[in-house]
Amino acid sequence: MSRETDNLIASLSSELKPVRSPLPVELVALLWLASSAAFVMAITHLFGPIRPNALHQLVTEPRFLFESVLGVVAITYTAIVSFRCAIPGAASKRSIVTALGLLALWLANYVYGLSDPALDPSMEGKRPHCIWETMMFAAPPAVLAYFITRRLYPLKPVRSAMLFSLVAGMLPALYMQIACMYAPMHILQMHILPGFLVMLAGGAIVWFLSWLKQRRQ
Amino acid sequence: MTVNLRVAPSGAATFEFMSDDDSTSDEIRWAKLMVSAQAGNEHDYRSLLTEISRATKHYLLSRFGAQHFIDDCVQDTLIAVHQARHTYDSRRRFRPWLFAIVRHKAIDTLRKQRSQRDLAEHQEALMQEAQRDTIDLDNSVAQGQLLDGLSPQHKEVLTLTKFIGLSNAEAAAKLRISESAVKVRVHRAIGSLTRLMEAEA
Repeated sequence: MSRETDNLIASLSSELKPVRSPLPVELVALLWLASSAAFVMAITHLFGPIRPNALHQLVTEPRFLFESVLGVVAITYTAIVSFRCAIPGAASKRSIVTALGLLALWLANYVYGLSDPALDPSMEGKRPHCIWETMMFAAPPAVLAYFITRRLYPLKPVRSAMLFSLVAGMLPALYMQIACMYAPMHILQMHILPGFLVMLAGGAIVWFLSWLKQRRQ
Repeated sequence: MTVNLRVAPSGAATFEFMSDDDSTSDEIRWAKLMVSAQAGNEHDYRSLLTEISRATKHYLLSRFGAQHFIDDCVQDTLIAVHQARHTYDSRRRFRPWLFAIVRHKAIDTLRKQRSQRDLAEHQEALMQEAQRDTIDLDNSVAQGQLLDGLSPQHKEVLTLTKFIGLSNAEAAAKLRISESAVKVRVHRAIGSLTRLMEAEA
């Protein structure tokens, strides 16, 4: 070993401060997801009433229930994977592909719904500003996730940011299934698309911040 | 079973046979040392960093051969391990955590390589040092094996710009392509290298 490496080891290990043992990252992800979901639900109710018969439809329409449950599963799994990405070696490529696959499967339901919808398309419960609400409601959970993962050690911060921003964007998109009108084309354009925009924005912002940090160094 | 080749300063070579249990015992020992380091034990942390620096060096030598940036990369890895030590969770395995950092730092260091003129001397010193160290036989046979996984074009451009240390303009003249084509080729070569390293994980 070179003298420089020896000196580095000596300086890193001198006056070593203890660090707190981390909570399991899956638990952190689930806590974030639960608090974000609670926030999205609360703020959605605050901005306007949900579709009157939506909860009844969840019970009486099995395909609508399946679509919603699949969305919850896909979002939960992606949230866990996105937080794992902030720990070196914790997220495998396979887990990332699985998460994206689950999301694609969920979204495929709406594409299929264009020809055979789970519910009869209707304007009932339409929220006039759902596209903006989706993006606005996604922002605080995305910012919170950024600050949580920043305290960890994401080796690929942009990838991690895109994943948690995608989850943050899809949370209100999923809840709009209950809060707004049901029509697959409306869902894809006004709820899902803004969710993807949040993902792109999250990735772009974190890329810019990393670039700024590198320039300063 | 792993066979290690030890080359003495006199040049005499001896073989050491290591069972797979040794890497398991490394895993267990490193995990214990890290848990102790997380609690603030300086002595254990120093031992851990020393062992990690050796393991990292062997890993990099086996993948890239004796390149001038190996020491820099080892040091960057140690700093990264220090910064990320709070993220190690003793419920997880230590090696995947460590080598994810090593792979990341290796690619990062490679990206940062710039044109350097005084590499030959340094390269030679590294070669001699590498011979003195104990090197895993499998790895030493395949020294620089990762580069063999690249296409000839990618291998050539990386060798010229990152290992020999030519500037983009010099490499462009040598390869008879434009400077921007060199930049694109280097970018793609590093991308391929990243994928190869990730595939090993």
